[in-house]
Amino acid sequence: MKPQVSPAIRGPVADQLADTMFALSAPSRVEILGCLLAGPLSVGAITSMLTMEQSAVSHQLRVLREHALVKAERDGKRRVYALYDDAVSDLLAAALRHVERRGRTKRGASPAAAGD
Amino acid sequence: MAAPEDSGAKRTAVTAGHFGPDADRRSAEDRAHRGDIKGALGVVSSLDTGPRRTLSHRLTTLLAVMGPGLVVMVADNDAGGISTYAQAGQQYGLRLVWLLALLAPVLYVNQEMVSRLGAVTGSGHARLIVERFGRRWGAFALSDLLALNFLTLVTEFVGVSLSLGYFGISRFLSVPSAAVLLITATATGSFRRWERAMYLGIIASLVAIPLLVLSRTHEPSAHLTLPVVPGAHASGVLLVIALVGTTVAPWQLFFQQSNVVDKRITARFLGYERIDTAIGTVLFIIGALAILLACAFAFGGTSLHGTFSDAAAVADGLRERVGSTAGSLFAVALLDGSLIGASVVTLATSYAVGDYFGLRHSLHRRWSSAPTFHRTYAASVVLAAGAVLVPGVPLGLVTTVVQALAGVLLPSATVFLLLLCNDRAVLGPWVNPRWLNALATTVVGALLGLSALLTLTTVFRTLPVVATAIGLGTALVLAMGIVAITSGKRGAGGEHQVLDDSPVWTMPPIESIEAPATSRSRTFGLVVLRCYLVLAVALLVAKVVKVALGS
Repeated sequence: MKPQVSPAIRGPVADQLADTMFALSAPSRVEILGCLLAGPLSVGAITSMLTMEQSAVSHQLRVLREHALVKAERDGKRRVYALYDDAVSDLLAAALRHVERRGRTKRGASPAAAGD
Repeated sequence: MAAPEDSGAKRTAVTAGHFGPDADRRSAEDRAHRGDIKGALGVVSSLDTGPRRTLSHRLTTLLAVMGPGLVVMVADNDAGGISTYAQAGQQYGLRLVWLLALLAPVLYVNQEMVSRLGAVTGSGHARLIVERFGRRWGAFALSDLLALNFLTLVTEFVGVSLSLGYFGISRFLSVPSAAVLLITATATGSFRRWERAMYLGIIASLVAIPLLVLSRTHEPSAHLTLPVVPGAHASGVLLVIALVGTTVAPWQLFFQQSNVVDKRITARFLGYERIDTAIGTVLFIIGALAILLACAFAFGGTSLHGTFSDAAAVADGLRERVGSTAGSLFAVALLDGSLIGASVVTLATSYAVGDYFGLRHSLHRRWSSAPTFHRTYAASVVLAAGAVLVPGVPLGLVTTVVQALAGVLLPSATVFLLLLCNDRAVLGPWVNPRWLNALATTVVGALLGLSALLTLTTVFRTLPVVATAIGLGTALVLAMGIVAITSGKRGAGGEHQVLDDSPVWTMPPIESIEAPATSRSRTFGLVVLRCYLVLAVALLVAKVVKVALGS
């Protein structure tokens, strides 16, 4: 992902981008995406990896699906969830690099984040 | 995220010491619920949260914020409402006016509570019920709402077909046209356009006033009986419950909360939203009284008194007794009420579905951007319109059944509402003050009492209604006393401190707040309420069948 000046990020596109970022704005949803980085998983598998109830995982997966960050697939009889495409894993990786770089430059300077 | 630090210098209005303007801080289920207020009559920037010092600034803010309360209250005088008021006036003259006078404050108290929940939490009613009472209660509330809303929507289309039928337009033309109009008003993805369409409807609803003036000059009020409690017979009791049911309906609670959220009204502007709700209440009472009084004046002391069949017959009767203008005005009022009601009831459904499942739900979004929201809306409209076009449906009876059903189901909705408004994790410093709890408990008690009255008079046909009412009233006062004492205890025993004295306290993201302490008495109370309601609905159905067969 090379930095580019993008006049294309305007109007409806900016709205769509903001929607995508909104979907990434809950820690629980980001954690679910983190689980799926390794490969497709069922709801039960995700639930066992995280400290969330299954209903909450399903709810957040629905939000992620609506924003085309996650897709549902059939694996035999099971239903598994996977990252929508490589762009999503790139997005997560880029966001992670961003956070880690900020963490190095101003460690401890950021205010205590609200929520959990 | 993205606190607008750079704009801080220019916009000093941002409340100091906060993360950002409260529009950005407030938890949201849909990104479109964040941003500037774009009302039909004005805009308020999300950064513009400073004090309003001049009267004109306050007025422009009010004009921009105003909307959800006005719309929901005028929508209350929908097809079911107008025909019930007309029925009350035609059958009982002025004897049921006291009930309308009593219902206006009830309506305001309920709607103020939901608009507060919306502004402070940023969540819809359905989501709050799921999060605070669990998935099962949430599913119950949602399915209740969807069933009732669909039936109500059918009555709105009945209203459309009856009102345009008065002008000789076939329902095979009027009903599909109304359906197309309703879908296009929302699917364009502009909150402002939708609200402007609603405002046109609100202005048109004022035709009830000239209708009253015409009827008033026509017939002197000497013929009319004085306002007293209605006679003790079964159809009178059914009409009282229908009147309460049409006036205080669950869809109004769900709609206004979601609409306040969707309009991006935050706790900062709650004062203006309260004024909005109050003005709406005044419009409601004007519209409802005008219809009731017009029918009381026009039919009092004539052969048409006590012969109500449906709204179309009322329009014909008004033409016969008062003149063709009066008949037309009534038909226009009915059409207008049906259209506003249809839009609002259907939105209550699609808001609740989006809210419940976490999918996008906003009038700010186009069809492609919120497909589930718009599809739910369109599907409801098309199915309900289709149901009206099926021949052989007893349309007048459907209206009464729906309104009475709503009157029976409402107590559960208000119980949830009352519990949510006392939940400190949800409302922080905005929880109900004790006097409001006392008032709201009285309201819930009265609604439960009416349902109980209906149930008892159905089971024991020979039981005198007045004696039952007195007995029930006494029992109710006792029960309310117990509730008041227990809630008083809880208030004194719990943390009495206000969490944050800031006027813009908003709920943190809903998934981050702690689960409510499971109180056994609360769960027990809810279960008992449900069992009672199931029984009441069953008996109500029995009663309607009996009345229909007997007459």
